[in-house]
Amino acid sequence: MNSVDASEHYELGAPDLSPSLLTIVIDTNPHAWAVLEDSLPLSKAIANILVFINAHLACNYANEVAVVASHSQKAAWLYPSHSEPQYRPADHDGDVTMNGTSDTTTPKTNKYRPFRIVEEQVTRNLKELMDSTTGDDLRGNMSTMLAGALTLALSHINRRTLAWAEEHGGANTEDAAADGNGGGTTSTNRYSASNEDERLQSRILVVSVSGSTDAAHQYIPVMNSIFACQRLSIPIDVCKLSGDAVFLQQASDATKGVYMALAEPRGLLQYLMMAFLPDQRSRRHLVLPTRVDVDFRAACFCHRRVVDVGFVCSICLSIFCEPPPGGDCMTCGSHLDIRDNAKPALLPRKKKKKKRVNGASGTGTPMSTPTPGP
Amino acid sequence: MSPRGAASYKKKDGTIAISADEKSVSWSPAVAGAGNMITIPVVNITNLQQTPASNPKVMLKIFAQAPDAPPDSTPDQYVFQFTAGADARPQADVIKDTLSARINSAKSATPSQTPGPRGGSEGLSAAMAIANAVTSAGTSKSPLDDENKLRSDIELQQSLLRSDSNLQRMFFEGLHTKPEALSSGSFVSQFWSTRLHLLRAHAIEQGQIRGSYNVLSSLKPRVEDNVTRLNISKEQIQLIFSQHPLVKRVYDENVPKLSEQQFWSRFFQSRLFKKLRGERITEADATDAVLDKYLRTDEGAKPDRDTNIHHFLDLAGNELNHSQRRGNRPELDMRPSGVDKVPIIRTLNSLSEKIMANVAPADGDMSAPIGINEEAWKKLQLQDLRGEEAQSRITLNIRDQSRFFTHGQEEDKTKQFAKQDPDQLLQTLRAEINQNLPSQGNTQLRKLVDPGDDEDEEMEDAPASRRPVGSSAALHDAFSQLLEALRVRRAQMTERAASETYGLSMALFDRLTLTHATTTEFLHQFWQAFLSGNPDRAGEVASLAESLQRARERIEAVANDAEAERKVEVDRLKKQARDVYESTGRKLRVNLEGVEGGQKVVNQLLGPTLHALEVASTRYQRELAEQKSKEAAIASQEMAGT
Repeated sequence: MNSVDASEHYELGAPDLSPSLLTIVIDTNPHAWAVLEDSLPLSKAIANILVFINAHLACNYANEVAVVASHSQKAAWLYPSHSEPQYRPADHDGDVTMNGTSDTTTPKTNKYRPFRIVEEQVTRNLKELMDSTTGDDLRGNMSTMLAGALTLALSHINRRTLAWAEEHGGANTEDAAADGNGGGTTSTNRYSASNEDERLQSRILVVSVSGSTDAAHQYIPVMNSIFACQRLSIPIDVCKLSGDAVFLQQASDATKGVYMALAEPRGLLQYLMMAFLPDQRSRRHLVLPTRVDVDFRAACFCHRRVVDVGFVCSICLSIFCEPPPGGDCMTCGSHLDIRDNAKPALLPRKKKKKKRVNGASGTGTPMSTPTPGP
Repeated sequence: MSPRGAASYKKKDGTIAISADEKSVSWSPAVAGAGNMITIPVVNITNLQQTPASNPKVMLKIFAQAPDAPPDSTPDQYVFQFTAGADARPQADVIKDTLSARINSAKSATPSQTPGPRGGSEGLSAAMAIANAVTSAGTSKSPLDDENKLRSDIELQQSLLRSDSNLQRMFFEGLHTKPEALSSGSFVSQFWSTRLHLLRAHAIEQGQIRGSYNVLSSLKPRVEDNVTRLNISKEQIQLIFSQHPLVKRVYDENVPKLSEQQFWSRFFQSRLFKKLRGERITEADATDAVLDKYLRTDEGAKPDRDTNIHHFLDLAGNELNHSQRRGNRPELDMRPSGVDKVPIIRTLNSLSEKIMANVAPADGDMSAPIGINEEAWKKLQLQDLRGEEAQSRITLNIRDQSRFFTHGQEEDKTKQFAKQDPDQLLQTLRAEINQNLPSQGNTQLRKLVDPGDDEDEEMEDAPASRRPVGSSAALHDAFSQLLEALRVRRAQMTERAASETYGLSMALFDRLTLTHATTTEFLHQFWQAFLSGNPDRAGEVASLAESLQRARERIEAVANDAEAERKVEVDRLKKQARDVYESTGRKLRVNLEGVEGGQKVVNQLLGPTLHALEVASTRYQRELAEQKSKEAAIASQEMAGT
């Protein structure tokens, strides 16, 4: 396609490798962090992640980052903040009015500006998020909004990919522009393998603390996000600080990401830097420390038994170890036509058959030798 | 003697018989006066139904309709039950066959209706199905869609087996190792029942016919004894005529004058032949008084322009597209050049065009717009001007799934969470964040990430649970976990690359794959029969279960052979070591572990298959024992009852 449109004239663009966009989903479920408090407090984890982000930003001047909080009652942006675009980072007035506690001393930081912007916004938004959370929000709600956070991350990635392609007059400017609002059938073209190196390299890192299965009602949206990532070849890396989650394992496996369940959460930075820093291009040449034994066994939906042979709903593909009660699928409610004789019949019917034929003809020769019963 | 049989009609015994001239079927009661005699003329019969062979009751249902009856009236139905015990089935079959033969011949006599007896529709699958002996109005189905036809087409199956050697090996291996009780017929039908798609693809492949080709270029004269010879077949002549109308014309005008042989020999040496082949004519070429006349006639004499181009696309047909009207200078490129330039390309192009034009597209839709395909037509339409189309999606209702996911471990965690006081934990979190992460970007990340040297020393001996975040010990632990994961991954990657056959010899590996394939085939058949719930297949299930047992033995045999093979290798190494020791006095360390293959590898590779066999046979044994005991219980109850 490059040869067709005019972009071929600009030879200088060629050696420039496209930057990567790292989207971090931080699970900020207060319940789970409280449990972790002794080993890895949230603030220190955030500090570690910020250092990791800086490392990522330092790799390439054009690298981008996005941070999403998967909180207990909602998913929220930590960076970039979309809610108040009028507050530019340098705009002190905005900051002062917002968190009234801060004094009038102008910060005298000597930091690389991109680092500072991320750091400021992440800490400020995190604080706001925590301040806006009330005890009532947490009572009876122990899960985290992973599905929402993943969806936010994906939509941001999509938007940045389009914008990047447009800015750089890449191969797909027309496609991108045409699909700008709504994403039609051609939207997959942008992501096709032919231009994989030309587009923005996006990946998602999930820093997870909650047991993910208590987000059961999000199962389908989460799975949809995972499949979307798989299709767009966006790897989902999972950094599991506590517990283990089967479907996050499958997510990283399906999207060729890295899955790490940390044995020692205190060494978070080490893990982040060693396992999660390389982008897709580098990963092709590396041995990844992801785990090899992903649990792929299918468990039935009704009893969580691991099944070898089972029943699958033909509408929604739910798995059952035995015919669901009433023949109705327990997930989608479709009536399934399970034949009554699904019960195997192993004994030949010969004896019965003879009896019946005899009975019908009515010649009265049955029961030759009636032995007395017990 | 005309076929007859003992049959009851409306619960009255009697005799059903076909008349001597086979024009009617009649039933008469056994006891005079027990009912009226019934006679049905064959021409009136519209349909015949018979209970399938698996059904112990033998019944024949005859649908009859008087020819003058209104077309929408329901036909009369007569149900006869054959009562002759063991003879009932053959009697019924004879009557049915005779009748359907008569009906067919009667039907084919009437031009409007074509009878379509569906061969072999005594369904394997539907136990309830009543075989349709005659279907009056058969829907014209493509033979490719008819599964039964594919299943019974032995020739097609054979030819597929011949073309796919893997499948062939699997088929014969399966056929040899099938259980005794399973007839080869039913094995074959089961084998193909899961491979209908292959059969269909093969049938389609076979249905392809070779198109015509460029004849003139394929004719190569050869030289024998200084005489140029050329053999030409009738088909080739026909093709030449159809591809080159000019030749046909020349032949027409000249052949009576010249003899056939003369004509062709002159033609193949002529300049005309060279021209039609697209070769350049040189001065050295022989001239021919007769044929050279036609050299100037342009063969492609302007076939009329393809009128089928859609006007929307037809630039030449659009007067406004004339670029010179807009003041442009006349276009110089893309002009047709003289006929004599590069004649070969011109000839080939025009020939290809002709060949393509002669081939009617097999998949063409008669109703499609002419000269443009459906897709292009759709593209041409101005979609923007239309309103939005309503989305037609199928809704998938999802019920609450949380109940599926509550299980032990998670509940504990939830309980642990529930114990915490939300207000308090929020407060702690906020305080901690405020303390460690001051706003406005002057966070001391370094301090948070690295506890510092002095702290580190202090905590060096602290237990792991009290180490500060980022202490060198913690980092070290993290590092070793990562390294471990990397090592495992790396080992796996190299292992996979090491040997394709896992140390087995190629022959053995082939056997292993074949054993695997046949085992899977038998497992498949077993589960199909097992889950069918059809008591009539009980015997089949039993024999299949037996064959599963044999499949396991076959795997063991492969494993044993593999072990023997490995032993040979091990012995060889040992002997080599001994020889070295004897000749040099030096002891060689033999790495026997390094010898791959053997039983272990086979068992590892076929582990899942063995497991599947295990599951299938235990399931079968359990179910069998259960049903047997139930049977026994029922039997004893019955005995107690009598």
